[in-house]
Amino acid sequence: MLRFAMREAGKLGLGLVGAVLLAAAIAALADRHAGDGALPFLAAWGRALTGFLHLDFGSGAMTGADALGELGTHLPLTLGLVFEGLAVALIVGVPVGVMFGSGPARRAAAPLVQVVSAVPIFSAGLALAYVAATVLHWPVPRGTGVATGLALVPHSGREVEALLLPVLTVGLAGAAAAQLALRRAGAEGARQPWRMHLRRMGLTAFEIETIYGVPQIMAGLLWSLGEVMLALFSAAAVAEWVFNYAGAADLFVKSVALHDWAIVAPILLSFAGLTMIAAFIGRCAAYPLAATGTER
Amino acid sequence: MTAATATPWRANGPSLHAMLQIAGWVGLGLIAVAVSLSDFLASAPANATAIGPLLAAPSADFRFGTDVLGRDMLSETLHGLSRTVRGALPATVVTLFAGALFGFVAARLPRGLALGLRGLIGIAASLPALFLALLAIGLTSRDWVSVAAGLSAAPFAFVRAFDRARQQERTTHSEYARATGISGATLMRRDLVYEFSDTLLSSAARALAAVTIILSTLSFLGFGAVPPHRDLGLMIAAAKSYFLHAWWTAAFPALALTLLILFARLAAGLDEGERA
Repeated sequence: MLRFAMREAGKLGLGLVGAVLLAAAIAALADRHAGDGALPFLAAWGRALTGFLHLDFGSGAMTGADALGELGTHLPLTLGLVFEGLAVALIVGVPVGVMFGSGPARRAAAPLVQVVSAVPIFSAGLALAYVAATVLHWPVPRGTGVATGLALVPHSGREVEALLLPVLTVGLAGAAAAQLALRRAGAEGARQPWRMHLRRMGLTAFEIETIYGVPQIMAGLLWSLGEVMLALFSAAAVAEWVFNYAGAADLFVKSVALHDWAIVAPILLSFAGLTMIAAFIGRCAAYPLAATGTER
Repeated sequence: MTAATATPWRANGPSLHAMLQIAGWVGLGLIAVAVSLSDFLASAPANATAIGPLLAAPSADFRFGTDVLGRDMLSETLHGLSRTVRGALPATVVTLFAGALFGFVAARLPRGLALGLRGLIGIAASLPALFLALLAIGLTSRDWVSVAAGLSAAPFAFVRAFDRARQQERTTHSEYARATGISGATLMRRDLVYEFSDTLLSSAARALAAVTIILSTLSFLGFGAVPPHRDLGLMIAAAKSYFLHAWWTAAFPALALTLLILFARLAAGLDEGERA
């Protein structure tokens, strides 16, 4: 276990270094002289990297605000959205995934899962908004106006309603990703030879599933935690855009459109770092759960 | 080899998996026909305004209704589908070459170089493909949206192909081949031919599903198709302001998009738990 954790920590460290280098290269584009040739770009890259090491990410080209300050303002909103979405994903995705992830139900649910996997997240978000507005009569932000910066912790019923839609959109994307991970683990588990051996030893199908099957499936989900985080961040970008939520993902989209690279770089770095850390934690947690401990 | 190609048929007939795969190819074929004949099938040319009343609900005259400029939604959906598919095809080719093929070849490079490449691409794979595509468009221009979508889907395809090639390298036939003096390059050519003859179609369909999602999301966010040339993502984005009282303006393009992605996923023979 320790050896495995050390190896994964090494991979995480290298990945984070790579992400810092990538983000510094993007931040270097904000330098006026970076486009003059390879050498000026390398010099700008070096300056950006030095700045990163001193937690100086530069300032936004549009607002002139400190990039780290902008990140500090917007990232908590996205993280709140992502973690609330993760909670929805786990509450919805795990029971459904375990229920339909093994046995005959897995095959029966296969066509439905294919259909659900094919719905783009922005279509799902708009469908949710339509149901909320027409059936539940909730307020739904529309148009392409300025992001409203909904409160992370709602103080009124109206704010809860406004926050629920983006959270549900992100949560559904996360639930779909969790569902895929659970089904993949279920499909792998169903092919394992130890099932037959355990049956021959006299264990019932229920015992095999609960004692050996479910931990394997949960290990599969944890192993894919990085993948689930990727789905949540993608969904956050779309949900923030659809529901005018002023989070970091929305800021990323707008900053790319405005070529505000000093803002883009730290957002990208934080998303990549969080995904890598989630993948690391998930793999380390999955290792003892998986009976064989084999890599997927 | 995917799970689908491994066990497509049972002794007494096609399995559910194989039937879904066939349905996927039939669906993609029908979409190809619709795209090829979109100018003929559509009753109005692309972006033709004032064809009917504004925001008319679906009826016998306008089966998919009309939008806020009086455009026939059936015709617009067909043109949008055509535009989406035409954008997705080059992106699919980019993903196949920059992802699947490059990953397969990279795994056979000298160990240090191969693992270095795997690490580099792994960093890109730890970012959402959508963000990579946005970044690529930000660094270039919207004219490169297909290439950006293809490149952003490539890291995942690269990692998958790389890991599969590394597994193949450890198989008994590879060990025997190396022991008998067959060179690494010859072995790679041989494996490449087998790999692609087995999985080219399913890899292409898988890449098509992935890039279609990315392309349409880019257009939805305003980074893809440029008006007046509208694809399905842009049509849905345009409907954002008024879809609550005119659901058909978003629902039919969204349905067409979902069908395209669904058929591509089915044609790829993706197991239920597999990502596109």
